[in-house]
Amino acid sequence: MSANNAFATHEGAMIDLRGLRKSFGSNEVLKGIDLTVQRSEVQVLIGPSGSGKSTLLRCVNHLEQPSGGQILVAGELVNRSDLKPRAFQRHLNRIRTHLGMVFQQFNLFPHKTVLENVVEAPVQVLGRSKDEAVADAEELLAKVGLADKRDAYPVSLSGGQQQRVAIARALAMKPSVMLFDEVTSALDPELVGEVLRVMEDLAAEGMTMMVVTHEMGFAERVGDRVIFMADGNIVEEGVPAEIFSHPREERTKRFLGDILK
Amino acid sequence: MLDWSIIIHYFPFLFKGALLTLQISVISLILGLAVGLAAALSILSHNILLRWPARFYVWIIRSTPLLVQLFIIYYGLPQFGIDLNPFWSGVLGLALNTGAYNAETIRAGILSVPKGQVEAARSLGMGSSLTMRRIVLPQAMRLIIPPLGNNFIILIKDTSLVSTITLVELTLTAQRLIGSTYKPFEMYLMAAVLYAVLTTGSSLLLRQFEKRALKGAAA
Ligand SMILES: Nc1ncnc2c1ncn2[C@@H]1O[C@H](COP(=O)(O)OP(=O)(O)OP(=O)(O)O)[C@@H](O)[C@H]1O
Ligand SMILES: [Mg+2]
Repeated sequence: MSANNAFATHEGAMIDLRGLRKSFGSNEVLKGIDLTVQRSEVQVLIGPSGSGKSTLLRCVNHLEQPSGGQILVAGELVNRSDLKPRAFQRHLNRIRTHLGMVFQQFNLFPHKTVLENVVEAPVQVLGRSKDEAVADAEELLAKVGLADKRDAYPVSLSGGQQQRVAIARALAMKPSVMLFDEVTSALDPELVGEVLRVMEDLAAEGMTMMVVTHEMGFAERVGDRVIFMADGNIVEEGVPAEIFSHPREERTKRFLGDILK
Repeated sequence: MLDWSIIIHYFPFLFKGALLTLQISVISLILGLAVGLAAALSILSHNILLRWPARFYVWIIRSTPLLVQLFIIYYGLPQFGIDLNPFWSGVLGLALNTGAYNAETIRAGILSVPKGQVEAARSLGMGSSLTMRRIVLPQAMRLIIPPLGNNFIILIKDTSLVSTITLVELTLTAQRLIGSTYKPFEMYLMAAVLYAVLTTGSSLLLRQFEKRALKGAAA
């Protein structure tokens, strides 16, 4: 319980990366990243393919094990090395309940209905009562505009609908931070807007968010800070207006030139 | 020509043998599923103390004949003070045998579930066993059930080998009746028909079960 309160009351950075490194074999993908995300801040990560954006996001909730550096979430060190495997796993599970993640490929559970997808973790992980979880889930589904799909299976939904369910599923854990990894990249263009709108609403409610995206309009409109990454380094960061209209670095100019063409 | 009076007269004896065959099949099926699941999870485990013995078990079973395995259990183990009666020797041999094949089937099914499913579950704070039980296994079932059914059909037919360790199931019943009737064709024909009934009945049941298991999650 005290740990939960820390997420609600922590005054410093919600996410604090210090010298974060990650290698896959001899391929160093993150080369010492320093980055902080304050409460209610929306940080947008942009950069060319292979620059390490996904890897960075996945290190935050330890889906990837970092090779070096520190990851602090609400002041708590994620990649502790002092715990035995079992204790470390429990520690990770607890921290992950505070970090919602949404994936490019949705990853809804295909054998469960929309409602079952959303109530699964609150009931199984947090031990909430079924009734309570269902009431919460219905509210969240209404919020993402899918109240009428509660008994549908994911396979019968459009990509945009599936992604909105995935967002509701993550929100059902009442996370303190939401991580979005190119959540509109797998969608048909006409479905992108409905997902971005849900994210925009979340941002307006004060959710702390890290968003990897190629949607520059969204970054400019919703982002508080934009981080431009290339080759495993942060090349440039700043408020969106500054980055998009007056990029300082040559690398940033080139990337923005390519993408806005 | 078939001697129908013999067939009608001896049918009840063979039917009784078939019931024992069914019984040994079902018990071995259940134990074999438990053993297979445990072995599959062990093989996929990071713990070499689980992985290594499980891989050895699957390898040794799949590379030796069932008949020899049964002989080792029934004739060999008493040397070490483990003296099982024919029924339990048969069940043990068949369960271990089918379990090794089930392990391979279950392992392949688990590996077929996309990695993104596990990542989604873990990102929600689900631990590894919860993820396996609630997310991975139910999805793996879709792929696993048909080949497991196939393993069960093979198991039913393999039970005939238990006749060699003196368990009077369907095959040995037929053999014994031949001793008194001198009608091998009729007796073995009846045994064959009863095996066909058992395997075909099981296939039909399995198909119903498959349909139920696949409902909803057609992806
Ligand atoms: N599991 C993995 N094993 C080996 N290499 C990996 C793995 N995951 C990522 N990489 C490598 O790490 C580098 C960075 O990948 P990452 O997915 O983080 O880039 P990204 O910025 O998200 O790119 P994109 O915009 O294409 O999604 C790439 O060179 C990639 O090949
Ligand atoms: Mg990526």
